[in-house]
Amino acid sequence: MKAFRYVRVSGGAGDVGKLVRKGATLKAGGCDLLDRMKERIAEPADVVAFGEVQNEYLRAIAATPDGLRIGALVTLAEIAASKKVAAHSAALAEAARRAASPQVRHRATLGGNLCQHTRCGYYRIATFPCWRRGADVCPVLVDGAVQDTAGVFDNGECASAHPASLPPVLGALGARVVVRARKEREERAFEALWRQPAKGVHEDVALAPGEVIVAVVLPPLPARTNVAYEAVRQRAAFDWALASCAARVTRDGGKVKAASIWLGSVAPTPRRAVAAEKALVGKAPGAAGFAAAADAAVAGASPLPGNTYKVELVKVVVRRALERAARRER
Amino acid sequence: MPRKVTYTVGRAGGPTREITVDVHDLDVDPWGADAELRVVGTDVPRLEASQKTTGAARYTYDVNRPNMALCRLLRSPHAHATVRSVDTSRAERLRGVLGVNVLVPAGGRITFAGKGVVAVCAENEETLDDALHAIDVSYDVTGGPVTTDDGRAPGAERVDPKRDNVNAGGRRGRQERGDPQAAMAAAATKVSATFRTQVQTHSALETHGCVVEHHDDGTYTVWASTQGTNAFRGSMAQTLGVPADRVRVITEHMGGGFGAKLGAIDEWDRAAAFFARDLMRPVKAMLLRRAEHQVAGCRPDSIQELSMACDGDGKITALSGTTHGTAGNGRGGAGAANTRIYRIPNLAMEQVTVSTFTGRARAFRAPGHPQGVFALEGIVDALAIAAGIDPLEFRLRNDPHPLRQVQWRLGAERMEWDRKRREFPGTGAVRRGVCCAAAVWRQKGGGDYVVNLEIRSDGSVTVKNAVQDIGTGTRTVLAVLVAEELGIAPEQVTVRIGDTQYPAGPSSGGSTTAPSIGPAAREAGHHARLRMAELLAEDWSCKPGEVRLDGVRFAGPGGKSATWGEACSLIDKSGLSVSGQRRKNYGGFSGETAGCQFAQVAVDTETGVIRVERVVAVHDAGRIVDTLTARSQVVGGVIQGISYALHEDRQLDRNLGDMVNPTFDTYRILGIGDTPRIDCLLTTLDSGFNNAGMMGLGEPVTVPTAGAVANAVSHAIGVRMTEIPITPARVLAALGGVR
Repeated sequence: MKAFRYVRVSGGAGDVGKLVRKGATLKAGGCDLLDRMKERIAEPADVVAFGEVQNEYLRAIAATPDGLRIGALVTLAEIAASKKVAAHSAALAEAARRAASPQVRHRATLGGNLCQHTRCGYYRIATFPCWRRGADVCPVLVDGAVQDTAGVFDNGECASAHPASLPPVLGALGARVVVRARKEREERAFEALWRQPAKGVHEDVALAPGEVIVAVVLPPLPARTNVAYEAVRQRAAFDWALASCAARVTRDGGKVKAASIWLGSVAPTPRRAVAAEKALVGKAPGAAGFAAAADAAVAGASPLPGNTYKVELVKVVVRRALERAARRER
Repeated sequence: MPRKVTYTVGRAGGPTREITVDVHDLDVDPWGADAELRVVGTDVPRLEASQKTTGAARYTYDVNRPNMALCRLLRSPHAHATVRSVDTSRAERLRGVLGVNVLVPAGGRITFAGKGVVAVCAENEETLDDALHAIDVSYDVTGGPVTTDDGRAPGAERVDPKRDNVNAGGRRGRQERGDPQAAMAAAATKVSATFRTQVQTHSALETHGCVVEHHDDGTYTVWASTQGTNAFRGSMAQTLGVPADRVRVITEHMGGGFGAKLGAIDEWDRAAAFFARDLMRPVKAMLLRRAEHQVAGCRPDSIQELSMACDGDGKITALSGTTHGTAGNGRGGAGAANTRIYRIPNLAMEQVTVSTFTGRARAFRAPGHPQGVFALEGIVDALAIAAGIDPLEFRLRNDPHPLRQVQWRLGAERMEWDRKRREFPGTGAVRRGVCCAAAVWRQKGGGDYVVNLEIRSDGSVTVKNAVQDIGTGTRTVLAVLVAEELGIAPEQVTVRIGDTQYPAGPSSGGSTTAPSIGPAAREAGHHARLRMAELLAEDWSCKPGEVRLDGVRFAGPGGKSATWGEACSLIDKSGLSVSGQRRKNYGGFSGETAGCQFAQVAVDTETGVIRVERVVAVHDAGRIVDTLTARSQVVGGVIQGISYALHEDRQLDRNLGDMVNPTFDTYRILGIGDTPRIDCLLTTLDSGFNNAGMMGLGEPVTVPTAGAVANAVSHAIGVRMTEIPITPARVLAALGGVR
């Protein structure tokens, strides 16, 4: 990696904003950042490691009047094991538990999970051309490329797939993201966190310089609401999902009153399947409605010659998530 | 003068036969099929188990010498290119850079991605990395085929400008017997299919590399991750232009090789050696994971177009076909072993190697076999089903190996074949399947290796040979054999191996290590026992022939008795030294080791995800010396085989020619979460080839797994799976869900 200035902050630093010097890169678990630095995909001049900061807000899973707040430095292992998380949404705990390996889950944080970059091999290996790194064309879109794990939505210029496990569930739970910006904490809608890929831009989260994700707040779920997470992984453990879906279903009488359906690993960002939600609301929570939602979820998909199967996987995870959400009491 | 010995070989309880052999006058009589042994054939924990589990075991990667420098190569990202210019001036100016060697100067041609272009030596990791990034190499990129299909396409860019990429290999690439055409025409049932296998990289956890230290007296010490300490020493000495006895190679522990670390030293070893020689400093060069995938060897892919026929009795009558594969930028070596195991009276096979602009293949655990047996067992399975015969019954009718006849039945019973074939695949989204495939291997070892054995008056026993333990348990096998002869416990034996200052040992290739060195250890133990008997006879005033080993005590006339410690106290200060030698092979029970595996899978037909639920592996390797390390070998072979069947795949961009998944999160290897229950049934027997009746086990255990898994998937989903790895995409495609 390229030489950089390194500041490690520990102890009880109160204000995380002060940690972010101009242009500094924040390092929490370092699971993603260090890989990119070793490959010189990332060459930050300043790195501030704040993973050991004893800041209650950043480290806590707290029940608040606004909902369940999870600090950005909470690890995936802590989310997977938390009774508070399980009480709010077993689906979130499941998504955390199924991610990566035990070692990684004990190191990786919620904030890092949201901010991690695509695992696309072309992006990750400096000697390959990559549109996200400034090349004119994404090589994955060219015939003869390795395409099996690439995205099937919004891939006109970049075929990357967002790899993270938690975002689809957070999206379906209606999470709000707490960002520290301009010395203030502000809450943002989950959808507003993401930006579509652009040439020369590595990040998938839309954060201005100096802004830091400090927590995620999960608002209380309405009555008669269930959430479920489904993912397809080629290996049972320590593998990236090929496709994932989190679905929230609120029933009213014999009908679906409201639904939120999010997809993971199939587009450059976590993707809300609005058409699937529309197809479901007002229908009975049963096979016909779920199938219609699954079909609607893949509307607009643009698979590559090497990954048409992923469209099928999306339909399966949407249907299965809805089936489980219809069964599960929280 | 050799002596004639007649004894029973084979498996106690059958099948067996009697052979008469010439036993060297210094060698011990062979044990035979019905020998009753004390330690051999029991579960003995690996001698170095605690060292390995606590991290105390020192691998080449762990060797750090005082004042050591680091070496690494800048590699071409292009598969086919000409170097236009190399500018190393910026790197040379960096503080801490000790040396820069241009390996491919301007005008040089690159024929695979990963080829070393410049070697750099630096004080530390940071400087080395900076230096590699400060070198400017410009290329004229030509491009060229990197897959077998592209390599054999008309008009493809040639790897060797003077020769076609397609190399049929002449007579060596052809096998013919009988009249397959006529047999096909007359067949009751005939099937044809094209099987495809991927390129698999060895993916040993310890990458290739070495540490070279140049001493003031002109000698060298080299710590190397190698499967052959002696071969490595010879090659290193030749490179350095010094006699072999000036080079000492040490491989204390080794983190896997699977064939990729056999033979001569590599480009990076050479670079490190030259820097060490010129700088008079220790230099370490270990490959990074990406380079390990790109340049350090692989199993060739294959495209096997096969036709097979049988008569009305379900007897195979003919096999014909053509195999294509690429072994990289060389000329040959991509053959698939798809003609053995079953009785096939009429045969016509052609093996064709296609040159491509990719890193060279290397020997990989049973070269040619996992891919060949995957295709052979696939077509056998298809033929059985087409003929309306139970696939196991079909195999029993066509398998001539007497021991495999026993093994098929053992495995089928353990897997509950009849019930599962009847009840599977079941209904619902998840379908189950069960099927099988055969293992074959024929190496029995050899050579004239010498094992030294020393005993001291304190009772310590030390065994010495240069042979390396590549992770298979060689140390423990030698200790068990010596312990058996001396009436002591294996953990009382200290085994000093992996060091060329001891007598030469075999390279670990072809499953030959244990049978090449084990019999010499047994003979050494035998000589030591005779010497102990002489010492006791003197003490007890009897004849040496009257001293016998009674379990773990020496006994003599008149109730005389001595423990191991008491006997050793008779040894004088200089100790007792003997040696044993590997003698010529005897006639043997069967030239081929036998084995078979059964796999049970669950296939999610909606997602295409496969979980292997259980494998039953039945194997022989002659006499099993240590059943615990042997089972460990079987488990490892099965895991590697499942991994090959379902996951591993070197993915190259066909336009850019480089590997897209050179990391372990994207080059998938079967992990613990996907490892099924594996039942190991070892059908131990006396192989009749040497005094211990041993054969090798490392390779046959991975030969049938992919075939068994693929056939089980075919059973589960009712579609013949002809291509591995069987990914979710391929399952869904086979089921017609997409495309």
